[in-house]
Amino acid sequence: MADVQTTNQSILVVGGGISGITTALEAAEAGYDVVLLEKNPYLGGRVTQLHQYFPKLCPPSCGLEINFKRLKANPRIRFFTMAEVAGISGKEGDYDVKVKISPRYVNEKCTGCGKCAEACTAEVDNPFNYGMDKIKAAYLPHGFAFPMRYVLDPSIVGTDDGKKCKDACQYDAIDLDMKETSFDLKAGAIVWATGWNPYDAAKVEYYGFGENKNVITNVMMERMASMNGPTGGKIVRPSDGKEIKNIAFIQCAGSRDENHLAYCSGICCVASLKQTRYIREQYPDCEVTVFFIDIRALDRLEDFYTMVKEDQKVKFIKSKIATITEDGATGNLVLEGENTNTGEQIKATFDMVVLATGMAPNSIKSVCSADVSCDEYGFIANDPAKAGIYGAGCARRPTDVASSVQDATSSALRAIQSIARR
Amino acid sequence: MAGNYDPSFAKEVFDNVDSGEEIKMCMQCGICAGSCPLRHEMDYPPRQIFTLIRAGRRDEVMNSKAIKLCTSCYRCKVRCPRGIPVIDVMHGLAHYGIKKGIIPRKGTAAFGGEFWKMIYNIGRIDEKTLPLKYNLLEGLVPGIKSTIEMAPMGIQMFLHHRMKLLPERKIKGIKELRKMLDKAKEMGKGGAN
Ligand SMILES: Cc1cc2nc3c(=O)[nH]c(=O)nc-3n(C[C@H](O)[C@H](O)[C@H](O)COP(=O)(O)OP(=O)(O)OC[C@H]3O[C@@H](n4cnc5c(N)ncnc54)[C@H](O)[C@@H]3O)c2cc1C
Ligand code: SF4
Ligand code: SF4
Ligand code: SF4
Ligand code: SF4
Repeated sequence: MADVQTTNQSILVVGGGISGITTALEAAEAGYDVVLLEKNPYLGGRVTQLHQYFPKLCPPSCGLEINFKRLKANPRIRFFTMAEVAGISGKEGDYDVKVKISPRYVNEKCTGCGKCAEACTAEVDNPFNYGMDKIKAAYLPHGFAFPMRYVLDPSIVGTDDGKKCKDACQYDAIDLDMKETSFDLKAGAIVWATGWNPYDAAKVEYYGFGENKNVITNVMMERMASMNGPTGGKIVRPSDGKEIKNIAFIQCAGSRDENHLAYCSGICCVASLKQTRYIREQYPDCEVTVFFIDIRALDRLEDFYTMVKEDQKVKFIKSKIATITEDGATGNLVLEGENTNTGEQIKATFDMVVLATGMAPNSIKSVCSADVSCDEYGFIANDPAKAGIYGAGCARRPTDVASSVQDATSSALRAIQSIARR
Repeated sequence: MAGNYDPSFAKEVFDNVDSGEEIKMCMQCGICAGSCPLRHEMDYPPRQIFTLIRAGRRDEVMNSKAIKLCTSCYRCKVRCPRGIPVIDVMHGLAHYGIKKGIIPRKGTAAFGGEFWKMIYNIGRIDEKTLPLKYNLLEGLVPGIKSTIEMAPMGIQMFLHHRMKLLPERKIKGIKELRKMLDKAKEMGKGGAN
């Protein structure tokens, strides 16, 4: 690690999702040295976990792989996975940053051959699929992971399984003695692109997420629809693996709500419309009901809404559902609420429910005490009076990929200006 | 319905009813109505009351069963995404009605009192015994009669596991809860009692 040469002309980018990668590339291609830190063992962020992304419904790999190529080709970018910021001091034009790297137990000699996973018997919850399935404790995070390098779960280090993995590796790529390391770097400007986390659906207690087996969240639906997801792309009920006939979406599950996220998460309406398409493509007979307060699909995304509305099997009902009750015998779900257009009390049964949960920021405030302005929710405010540290993408506001990329480009420019001002 | 539109009613509510002005924040999501355990008994569940106020429907609001029935269970207020103290408005309207001589005192206090006792005794609301007790308070014979009238709802709730056959058990920490409730009562905020 000691070979990280940085000066106060360097730019630090924290978070290797689509926003952070974009900022890093834009700044490096403009001639600046960049260090990119990513907490996960792979780059790409939440976009890697989507099945398809709007507006064009391309698979996430297509947008990301071009970026990975640009990244590999650019000697000005140094990136680190399993890396986090431990502390920031200094001011615009002159920051000192402490970086912490967690042990991966697999070094750069890894060829991705998979022999370690074959030898390993222990399994752990698969974070990539939001815990819907298990993976071997020696694993590749997902099919097109970049870097294409395995990881060992810390739980098998010092066990028989750890030893088995090491013995299986013919490339001397497994190092069970790896420890957490840290190093210091200098930077003239910092771009914070740590993105978002799905809001914890269990907190909206009247929907019984976690207890009602067939209540899932929108991020889980993305994984289910995905070919490399827990069900190989089949959208089925978690309780019994049955095909679905009648599914409901509940919008604003924890957003636009002072008890949870007070803001509109911006993308979950279109995400549900998109997921309605996944379902309708897989099941020509499946009925879909979307319960909403209002549908937010602006600009070019409105066409998408119009298209979904034309589908006879899709119903939109204006209601914030008040309760979900599971029928113990069938696993079906009874939804109750008020239809606010007609004033009628709704009581309807579905075989699966998707909660359209919102996006909560991975706030800089939870990581370090750097002098930067955030709004009351933890999104970075890009306050002109506090130049030097800038937010990009969903660390700044909940938004889609296209807007994140735009925002990340402007953050690269801001960071360059911070250095030029010195 | 036509004819009794009173454009000054909304302002009257905003100015005179406890928390009345908060209605302006309502986004008509309907979760208050959908959550209200008495929604099937009410002529206009809370959200609809608020729409009627905005629409100047004085008679429907002030004569509604809903504002008398509200039992202070707090579900609406706890869940309102706009932080509107729905229950306070419902009570405010009832008080305003009583003050104006539109509503007689009886009904509301009886149901509220039963709610209070139930919370105090077991720490939660038992949807089965509550209507029973409430109806018995009306007098034994009419009480039994209206309980039987409500039975279909009870049976349905039971079938859908909304209501257990045995009375709800006490919650953990009932002693602490009682201490709090006693304190609250002392402070003069003891619900409908
Ligand atoms: C259900 C759903 C469906 C969606 N579908 C679409 C769609 O179809 N089309 C579309 O355009 N958008 C969609 N979105 C939105 C899309 O996911 C976001 O726009 C996108 O993820 C934003 O990228 P980002 O880089 O800002 O954040 P992220 O993707 O969250 O990336 C942030 C990265 O930072 C890393 N990180 C976090 N904290 C730290 C730290 N302390 N140190 C180092 N690294 C850290 C994370 O591990 C992550 O890799 C969807 C969102 C949801 C919820
Ligand atoms: S760590 Fe070794 S065995 Fe495992 S995938 Fe890499 S090279 Fe293969
Ligand atoms: S985008 Fe739609 S579902 Fe998401 S918070 Fe906004 S209105 Fe609710
Ligand atoms: S407090 Fe009153 S209006 Fe609110 S949910 Fe309970 S009974 Fe209904
Ligand atoms: S819950 Fe609140 S915002 Fe929603 S309809 Fe009721 S009062 Fe209005």
